[in-house]
Amino acid sequence: MKQSTFKADVLPYVLLLPTFIILIVFLFYPALETFRLSLFTVHPFTGAERFAGLYNFKNIFSNTEYMHSFGISFIFTVAVVLLGLAFSMMIALLLNERIKGMKYYRSFLIWPYALSPAIAGALFNFLFNPANGIIGYFTGFRTWLTQGSTAFLIIILAAVWKNLGYNIVFYLTALRNVPRDALEAASIDGAGPLRRFFSITFAFLSPTTFFLLVMNTTYAYFSSFGLIDVLTEGGPARSTNLLIYQLYRDFFVNSKTGYAAAESLVLFLLVVGITVLQFQTTEKKVHYQ
Amino acid sequence: MKRIVILLLVVTMLVPALFAAGKEEVKAIEVDANAPVTIDFWHAMSGTRIELIQGIVDEFMKENPNITVNVQYTGSYNDTLNKVKSAVKAGNAPQVFHSYEIGTLGLINSGIITPVDDAAKEFNLPINWDDFFTPVQSYYKYQGKHYSMPFNSSTPLIYYNKTMFKKAGLDPENPPKTYADIRNAAVALQKAGIKTPVTWNLHSWYFEQMICLQDAPFANNDNGRGAELPTKVLINGEAGKKVLDWWVGMEKDGLFLDVGPGWSNHRAAFVSGEVAMVMSSSSDVNLLTKGLKEKGWEMGTGYIPRPEGAKGGVAIGGGSLWMTNTGTPEQQLAAIKLIEYISSDEPQIKWHKGTGYFPVRKTAMDKLKAEGWFNENPNYLTAFNQLLDSPETLNTAGALLGVFPEARSIIQAAIQECYAGKPVQQALDESAAKINAAITEWNSVIKQ
Repeated sequence: MKQSTFKADVLPYVLLLPTFIILIVFLFYPALETFRLSLFTVHPFTGAERFAGLYNFKNIFSNTEYMHSFGISFIFTVAVVLLGLAFSMMIALLLNERIKGMKYYRSFLIWPYALSPAIAGALFNFLFNPANGIIGYFTGFRTWLTQGSTAFLIIILAAVWKNLGYNIVFYLTALRNVPRDALEAASIDGAGPLRRFFSITFAFLSPTTFFLLVMNTTYAYFSSFGLIDVLTEGGPARSTNLLIYQLYRDFFVNSKTGYAAAESLVLFLLVVGITVLQFQTTEKKVHYQ
Repeated sequence: MKRIVILLLVVTMLVPALFAAGKEEVKAIEVDANAPVTIDFWHAMSGTRIELIQGIVDEFMKENPNITVNVQYTGSYNDTLNKVKSAVKAGNAPQVFHSYEIGTLGLINSGIITPVDDAAKEFNLPINWDDFFTPVQSYYKYQGKHYSMPFNSSTPLIYYNKTMFKKAGLDPENPPKTYADIRNAAVALQKAGIKTPVTWNLHSWYFEQMICLQDAPFANNDNGRGAELPTKVLINGEAGKKVLDWWVGMEKDGLFLDVGPGWSNHRAAFVSGEVAMVMSSSSDVNLLTKGLKEKGWEMGTGYIPRPEGAKGGVAIGGGSLWMTNTGTPEQQLAAIKLIEYISSDEPQIKWHKGTGYFPVRKTAMDKLKAEGWFNENPNYLTAFNQLLDSPETLNTAGALLGVFPEARSIIQAAIQECYAGKPVQQALDESAAKINAAITEWNSVIKQ
């Protein structure tokens, strides 16, 4: 049997070309341009540029409010990732049972992922807004979104809920790959359900968990804008003013292009840094089949 | 000798050129006023107002059959401004766009606009500014020149539920006028069973207006209207402190419901009867009157409150229409015709009836009065009277500031800090310092 082959000198490049054109136009060029602009001050209307060296970086790092956003973004991310993974793993385990109507339960639990963050924000606004929120009506406590600590909590909850579907889909798929015979063998050996979960199921889930850890970290840093804009606008008193929201305000409202560029470079490096760190530390504990 | 001859030659060649250049500026540009031309008009009014504006522009096109106007709703004021900025850079800017009042100083210094007074002179289409209400036209006048055309103007008002006022033993025909009045009314309403009787949304606009009401400046250099750009804000003086002491004090005493930012929560609280008094834009008259009527309640309106004895007045808010300095002379001519048409009587009357924004012209107002419109809708008159009762000073003309959007979010955060317990003076001092830093930065960037 002769295997059909392609000449490897031109064709691969031709096939890659469309992808690269799109990547260059919509990703690499804008990213490089952003990094370049972080070294300039930019006129808010004409776009005239003046080289400023590290001026923008000095300013953002000497700004206590920016450092505050830095801190709360980190707390937010840790909370969203931990709660998000824990809840979705538990729900996925339940959804893996064989009971009647499971198809429907699965669909219902996955659909929040199909919502845009702004719509998710609007739903939480129906529940918690101080004028006529449903939860406020039933609990008599109406300052959910107008008190710093509770507002922060609700943003976390909303972000976790919004991403549940994504995580559950991945966990469900991973659970299909846990071999039944291994679980059976363990129970014959006398392992209880907890032991079986931690020693076997969890080990098989660990590659997925690691993947979701990376994805959720990125999600928490970059995708919370819509929720915050709808629910709190960064308030009360900046308690939900995460890095990504400050970045939006600096570019789109305050017209500080140089600042915004510097902030996006910082955010980019931060997330890349965390991801590299995760690969170097956590991945060692991952069990690949 | 040779050198002198050359020098003389150069001078004789230069001098006429100079004069010619000078002449050209005075002379009206020759354009074919009847040539077919298309212009773009971007505005920031959503909902039913999109149809309303389209209707006004359709009338304009009927009167000027050679002009085609593409009207587009381009999102909020802020979105519209951002779209205009990128369009200018990309070379496809609209000829006319709509901006909020706080964008004024930025746009004046932007280098992307043509002042309406210049365009009016260039095309010999003079605008009778005397027919505009003084506070309206003086807001958009900077250093003696009008830069944009007033379009949708509003002021804040107090709205109150007359039915609930009666129940609480208050005089429903006599709205509260001072800080003490509001507070006393709130206490009485609370006794009558309304848990938190007052609210308004978290917005720096009210704070700014209540500084105007005390005839105090918001920014230095003639409230931002002087020959030099403003360099700092004056919000942490006596006037600013008085406003927040009273405002935050009511919140702390449980009389004021904190509904957060945005424009829907306080409206919802008022319409559902959660609260009996709100402050909101005069352009909400339509909406709130209807809302209360559905519940069988009567609504009253009053001037926004001031500390006892304060002598200032309100400044206008809302938006105006700007011309970009792009496009052919024919397009510029069409643009100035369009914005002059929109500010004329008939469109302004239509606009007023449809929204509650008040007409910007005296003649439009007279026509409305003659029609008996205000006898049927007395609440529409309150905003007017409030404006006309305002003295004309640099303070009540309204502050101009390049960093106004940023200043507003800093002030709003400060108010929330006060709700959470920070002393008013400290919060104001800190936010003034932050705004001043932003101003310094802006002033240096805008001149580059």
